[in-house]
Amino acid sequence: MNVYITDGTEECFYTAVFNACTDRDCVVTSSHTVQLSLGASVTAVRTDRQKCERVRNKLTEYAPHSLRDVSVILRRGSSDKEQVALEYIRLIVQKKSPVGGMLSHPAVIAARDEMKKVTLEAHRFKGFLRFMEAQGGIYYAPFAPDNDILEMILPHFIARLKNQPFIIHDTLRGKAALYNTKECVVAATGEKVDVPLSECEAHFQALWKEYYAAVNIASRPHEKQMKNYMPVRYWKFMPEKRG
Amino acid sequence: MIDAERLKILTESAKYDVSCSSSGSGRKNTKGGIGNADAAGICHSFTPDGRCISLLKILLSNRCCYNCLYCPNRAEADVPRASATPDEICQLVMAFYKRNYIEGLFLSSAVEGSPDSTMERLLDTVIRLRKIYRFNGYIHLKGIPLADRSLISRAGLYADRMSFNVELPSERSLRLLAPQKSKEGVLMPMKQLAAEKKAVGEEKGKHRHVFLPAGQTTQLIVGASPESDGQILKLSQAMYRRFSLKRVYFSSYIPVVRHSLLPDKCAGLLREHRLYQADWLMRFYGFSAEEIAGKGENLPEEYDPKCAWALRHMQYFPVEVNAAPLEALLRVPGIGNLGAYKIVRARKYAKLDFDDLAKMRIVLKRAKHFITCGGKFFGSENVNTVKTMLALEDKGPRYEQLSLFSTPETSLSALTGQL
Repeated sequence: MNVYITDGTEECFYTAVFNACTDRDCVVTSSHTVQLSLGASVTAVRTDRQKCERVRNKLTEYAPHSLRDVSVILRRGSSDKEQVALEYIRLIVQKKSPVGGMLSHPAVIAARDEMKKVTLEAHRFKGFLRFMEAQGGIYYAPFAPDNDILEMILPHFIARLKNQPFIIHDTLRGKAALYNTKECVVAATGEKVDVPLSECEAHFQALWKEYYAAVNIASRPHEKQMKNYMPVRYWKFMPEKRG
Repeated sequence: MIDAERLKILTESAKYDVSCSSSGSGRKNTKGGIGNADAAGICHSFTPDGRCISLLKILLSNRCCYNCLYCPNRAEADVPRASATPDEICQLVMAFYKRNYIEGLFLSSAVEGSPDSTMERLLDTVIRLRKIYRFNGYIHLKGIPLADRSLISRAGLYADRMSFNVELPSERSLRLLAPQKSKEGVLMPMKQLAAEKKAVGEEKGKHRHVFLPAGQTTQLIVGASPESDGQILKLSQAMYRRFSLKRVYFSSYIPVVRHSLLPDKCAGLLREHRLYQADWLMRFYGFSAEEIAGKGENLPEEYDPKCAWALRHMQYFPVEVNAAPLEALLRVPGIGNLGAYKIVRARKYAKLDFDDLAKMRIVLKRAKHFITCGGKFFGSENVNTVKTMLALEDKGPRYEQLSLFSTPETSLSALTGQL
């Protein structure tokens, strides 16, 4: 059995797919904690632009939306994301057509589940992200999502707050999007960044907490539903939940 | 800037309005402006009662000259009163919006002075927000019944959604519990806005107006007056058809005010839930109000309305999953909108059996009694067994949490554990 280890980028994954697609008994992963079976041979894949392009072109030819699907799956925070994407690609190559409608096929079910988890979290963070006003009028929003969704939510916030300089910081993956009302770059950062807040920030957070407490109807408690819609792991950066 | 005390009073007065959706509008950001609206709506937080916070829900003032019996802010009530200026509201909206706390504003007001002057202040706030603060986020504006026509139609040019609350499902209850309001006073402006929206929708050209892109909604209080579910659904259906409403919200009655004409107890949450299920059946599943519940009937508590309908119409079942048209699949209990579309898409590629349905996450607990897969049937043939199997168990509070300080007998049993 062959184990292909990628560096986590999309290009590297497609390079691995070039060989893995026809290699029936193989595993593709970017995880460094993979459990190797007896007699496994490990290959560390190095990005090869040509192979990557050939795979991409073929996929676009068979199924125009498949590249987007794969890119969403690869944003998943789980260790078997590459394997799910590989199975999905294999099915496309086998059928030579889009397979999104084959909703009872195990590979499609798995791929859709992973995509759903990523897009759901991206949608949720359009709401749950919290900006803080830093000194100098820049707004800073730290968050720690399960999946790599920073680039997915970015267009939303740029369209919405286009005249407001902001930083969205993924503390888990150590990267941040910096936007200065004209252009936006994604840069690597440390896990902790010290941001001095503006004077009025504490005041508005207090007002927001006051509002949050006032709008609740205490005679109709339903905590379970609250936690279903807004999982506890997201509360860390939300002023109304931080206590 | 508004202070915490007034924010608290004005929010607590507004919170019983259930509508909080921010969907239906695709308003774009403007040059030099802030904000846009997301067509699907976005929830920004959830409160411990399980409801979402999407909009800043606030009253401009809770000094009311009306005396609706069920309302905590009625003129006679002894509650703290407060009001805010339009600018204070605008500043708060901007500060919250920049921090991504909210999706926009839900603005309402008690009737202070006359309906016209109240509506003017509401309109002033919204226009300020749009023109001076250049805010392009979502605005839901409550209309004041009996306010001038021109004020109401002007508001439609700035708000994304407007709502006039019908509150009580019949004219008789309205006269009894809210003597200063009338059915006509609420329905007339809804009719007017629906007609104007339609007229604007027919405009052509580059500089078309935007008029209430997210339409109108309304709210009905359930359980404060004796109307049956059938009557409530019929009224909702008529409003959906005549005023092309986006939503009718149901609010189960919460007694915040004690009065001899009002019930003392909360109308159950289950009733509200069943009404919403029935509402969904009317809007997305092709059911009519008459099919779901007759005029004087209430919805059954033990089954959901679709299940109850199916049990009454066993002659249409079972349906074959691999062949039935979408409309028939939508009527199978347990198969939702998404499930039905999934089945229709998936069966083009492969014949579906029960295992496939389970893998596609279609809940078969109820559905299996009403479908066949490739001619196979796994449900129960006998209608009565199906009924007992599907009936919701009585989850009433049979036990109570004992405290050391309850009555002597019960506090003893709290110590010994003996019941």
